[in-house]
Amino acid sequence: MRLDTSALDNHFAAAAGNEFSGVLATDNLPSLEFPEVATCNDFDGFQKATKEMLNHKKGTTTLAFIFDKGVIVAADSRASMGGYISSQTVRKIIEINPYMLGTMAGGAADCQFWHRNLGVKCRLHELANKRRISIAGSSKTLANILYSYRGMGLSIGTMIAGFDETGPGLYYVDSEGARLKGTRFSVGSGSLYAYGILDEGYKFNMPIEEAAELARRAIYHATHRDGASGGCVSVYYVGPDGWKKLSGDDVGELHYQYNPVQEAFVEQQMAEVPAA
Amino acid sequence: IFEYNGSAVVAMVGKNCFAIASDRRLGVQLQTVATDFQRVFEIHPKLYIGLSGLASDAQTLYQRLVFKHKLYQLREERDMKPETFASLVSAMLYEKRFGPYFCQPIIAGLGQDDVPFICTMDCIGAKELAKDFVVSGTASESLYGACESMYKPNMEPDELFETISQALLSSVDRDCLSGWGGYVLVVTPTEVTERVLKGRMD
Repeated sequence: MRLDTSALDNHFAAAAGNEFSGVLATDNLPSLEFPEVATCNDFDGFQKATKEMLNHKKGTTTLAFIFDKGVIVAADSRASMGGYISSQTVRKIIEINPYMLGTMAGGAADCQFWHRNLGVKCRLHELANKRRISIAGSSKTLANILYSYRGMGLSIGTMIAGFDETGPGLYYVDSEGARLKGTRFSVGSGSLYAYGILDEGYKFNMPIEEAAELARRAIYHATHRDGASGGCVSVYYVGPDGWKKLSGDDVGELHYQYNPVQEAFVEQQMAEVPAA
Repeated sequence: IFEYNGSAVVAMVGKNCFAIASDRRLGVQLQTVATDFQRVFEIHPKLYIGLSGLASDAQTLYQRLVFKHKLYQLREERDMKPETFASLVSAMLYEKRFGPYFCQPIIAGLGQDDVPFICTMDCIGAKELAKDFVVSGTASESLYGACESMYKPNMEPDELFETISQALLSSVDRDCLSGWGGYVLVVTPTEVTERVLKGRMD
């Protein structure tokens, strides 16, 4: 059976006396017709638009502060997608290990993944060096990882809080690569309202209960004013023995605790007249 | 632009009565500015209009409608029927077809022989009559779901109040931009009851 080798024939006319003779002759080359596809004229803008698509604004309120007995960390629990509330019971305080907490603001998936990843790295450090990692070290690890992803659209605004050999530690780390050491931080869309209450009531020497109440009040006010914060307030305390969850209160009930409903003053009231 | 201030309005029909309810939040995008903002207005004791959407357009539209209704009262020496009022609102909104009021009105009233009438419109005046309930605002999708499942025909005024309150509160709890309390008006041929609801203030 003779094979059909017509496909292997060379259809290109060889131009005689041409320096570039053969296949590369410029005349008579049949050209391949590319189908019409939408070409992207502005590829950089297109890349930016795809990142913006996943850019959730940091709709939340979290705060943390250092005082003489340790660190208090508090957060709300609402997750919003634009105007829709997707959940009122999100855990925004992530337990990295028994003496370190991280807070979540920004993209939920980003925060959860990278905090867990940080937990892994901290544990590996412990096993390799036979001692716990310091808060400065763990926040530096996270900040370096996030810096290497800078510009790729991660959205993380987190605070790493904990207690190590040098005492309480609090660092703010975000997806732009910032790492700040400080004593009072609040992150998220409701942070401005929380700062107002926090800065007003803050004292370095406070009993634990008073510090927790300050944090609770600050988050409550932020949830009241900010549409993207709400749900429940969780308050954690990190001391020399590790973290402990102090309270989780529903903000709806907290409002009526702080502002009890007052009976309106009734001047005159209609009374039922018994039928004569 | 409909999500600039945030709102939720719902109206339901019962047995010879109707209820109209709204949330009480006024916000500027995510920030809450007031928690006692009125969205349901009276035109006459048997006709109410609830306006969701941009707050300034809601107030302006209400003032223009009251003006037109007062002129009507002077000329015809009686109150406007709800059906007529709905046509008036629809025409007013369509007048601004190419630069509309950013509002979605809900009109609820007792018509002739005290038959309850409810209708809603989009921002350029497309009337949508309904026999059971109408919703509008940023929480409208949640409201549709809540009303659909909780509504029964021919409810008495007390039961209607419970139903509409529960539907409103549960729907605004799923919306960042509305809530912070509720305001419910239940209208029967003999009385009008207004109640303020305690809701989640977050």
